[in-house]
Amino acid sequence: MIRFILADLRRLWAGAVVVVLLVALAVALGVTVTLQERALRLGSARAADKFDLVIGAAGSETQLVLSSIFLQPSPLPLMSGEVLAKLSKDKRVTWVAPVGFGDSFAGYPLVGTTRALISSTVSGFSEGRMFDKEGEAVVGAAVKLPVGAEIKPMHGTAQIGGETHAGVVYHVAGRLQPTGTPWDRAILVPIQAVWHVHGLGHKEHDQEESGHTASTPAVVPAPLPAGHYHGDGHDHGPSPLLGNREVHTADNGHGHAHEASGSAPDAAHAAEDHDEHDHHGSIDADAAIDEDFTATAPGLPAVLVKPKTIADAYKLRQEYRSGNTLAVFPGEVLTNLYATMGDAKLVLSAVAAGSQGLVAAALVLVTVTHIGQRRRQIGALRAFGAPRLSVFAIVWLELFLLVAIGIGLGFLIGLVAAQMIAEVFTTQSGIVLPVGFAREDIRSALLLLGASAMLASVPALLAYRQSPAAALRA
Amino acid sequence: MLALVIERLAVSFAGLSSPVLAIDHLTIAAGERIAITGGSGSGKSTFINIATGLEKATSGKVFWNGADIANLSESRRDRWRAEHVGLVMQDFHLFPGLSAVENVLLPARLARVADAALVARAHELLKIVGLSRPEQKIETMSRGEMQRVAIARALLRKPGVLVADEPTASLDADAGENVGRLLIDMADEAGSTLIVVSHDHRLIGRLDRRITLAAGRIAADSAVEGVAA
Repeated sequence: MIRFILADLRRLWAGAVVVVLLVALAVALGVTVTLQERALRLGSARAADKFDLVIGAAGSETQLVLSSIFLQPSPLPLMSGEVLAKLSKDKRVTWVAPVGFGDSFAGYPLVGTTRALISSTVSGFSEGRMFDKEGEAVVGAAVKLPVGAEIKPMHGTAQIGGETHAGVVYHVAGRLQPTGTPWDRAILVPIQAVWHVHGLGHKEHDQEESGHTASTPAVVPAPLPAGHYHGDGHDHGPSPLLGNREVHTADNGHGHAHEASGSAPDAAHAAEDHDEHDHHGSIDADAAIDEDFTATAPGLPAVLVKPKTIADAYKLRQEYRSGNTLAVFPGEVLTNLYATMGDAKLVLSAVAAGSQGLVAAALVLVTVTHIGQRRRQIGALRAFGAPRLSVFAIVWLELFLLVAIGIGLGFLIGLVAAQMIAEVFTTQSGIVLPVGFAREDIRSALLLLGASAMLASVPALLAYRQSPAAALRA
Repeated sequence: MLALVIERLAVSFAGLSSPVLAIDHLTIAAGERIAITGGSGSGKSTFINIATGLEKATSGKVFWNGADIANLSESRRDRWRAEHVGLVMQDFHLFPGLSAVENVLLPARLARVADAALVARAHELLKIVGLSRPEQKIETMSRGEMQRVAIARALLRKPGVLVADEPTASLDADAGENVGRLLIDMADEAGSTLIVVSHDHRLIGRLDRRITLAAGRIAADSAVEGVAA
């Protein structure tokens, strides 16, 4: 019987190929939508899962997460630097790190942050080392810059016509291991450098902790793309870098000597200084990094917080959700986004299902016509003594075989297409999308096979019911 | 070897006032060699369909060796036909893409009865009908060769009755002569009753008895003169 079917298919190979391709493409469409949506969901969730709590100025939750976790460039309102200082001292916090954005280089976003954040969220360096001077940078795994390369940041991005910051140069000190998140495409520099470039936070040592807000949102240059942190979801002990005064003992010889946070304030001087430097900042490449944040730290778009316990996380979120700040769990915000994405997926799935339905209808039409043309052959088979069930099986198997091959091929094409889309997406965003089949795909494959089994039985039943005498007369 | 007895048979189609075939009584003895003739629309094809169980009689009885096939269900008639009837048709109804021997074995294989003995018999039959290349693809054969493959197929399961519907009509004279002789010889050899619908006088001349149908009734039933001419 198989040989007879194969001989038949060989004879009608062109039609068979068309049927297989038609089915394959319709199936591939649905498979791609499913795989891509799942990959996007998993990939973005993984990108966010190292960041337990994000705190920013009051505004859009979604924007806060997109900017800080996914490094989407867009202006975020700033919140007072006081928040950072307060959180640094909070006993419920394992580590807290500011993120500052706004600059880019060669298409890669520059993110100002702290060593605490980098060491807590990335597994290590594949090359080089952590930055320890203001003029050093650490690049993500996907940034195509060698260790030692010069980075001349541009304000904003090239696409929106940003200007290069004159005289500001970072040197790449190290390259991080891949994380599969947008941070792989980021250039990480000390937050203090970002502040200095934008004329903020100079001479912190001149300011007193109490009551001086170094800058207001208005002072800070506009587009501050979001920054993002890699949280690993584990509880870390307090970072040695936070509140560590040793790191900034050296006098940098440029009058920016850093001292422990208690240095004598000169409020008037500080304010003056800020005005002067607005937008005309430069960095002192050799300055030591001060990661001991005081209340006089400049305004920030976001800080990333690693609470000690889940209870602490909820308490902190509650506390920082009022007034001028907004605290969110990225996972929660993503869940809302997924709901929206789910709607889009529903539409796409409906389109895919529609196309599958159309193909199914076309197939029924084609095969019923085909059975009409084969009436004599089928009649002859019966006349020569082939049992009716054999006739049914031949017609059924022939069509089912084609559709099943098409479905198999469709899953393959869908997988390859989803992988290709994911690769493009990863190149653009840094988010690694885990494309792969899951258990529920087996179910949908079985569902499709079941549907095609029923579909194939339509012409098979027609052939089964055909009177051989009438068929031969035709 | 099968004998046929038909009693009060009537076959009508919806929309036709008179039956397309009406036979009060007909007996064909086992091993007899019968020619059926008649113009188009005389009921020849219907007679073949009824006799082989391809069609169900509207009324009446069709006994083959005493068993009434008119009462059987479609599936059982199929099975009965597969076991007892060898069919040879004007258009051969061979299946392209398959070899000669695969064509001979196809119905038996579909009925799941093709064992080693039957496969050996298929090869032997092809040799007997004069085909030396059993693996030759059917579409590369001449029409005469194709009809010989069809005869081998019809005889594979040693049917009690061999029914041929215009077996020589689509062949040239030489091939037709050849096929006609093969039919008779092989029916003899297999011990099958032979029923041939034909207009081919040379073929009819070799048979024992000639039944002429007209308008669905038996118009003449006589021994063929000059047997074995």
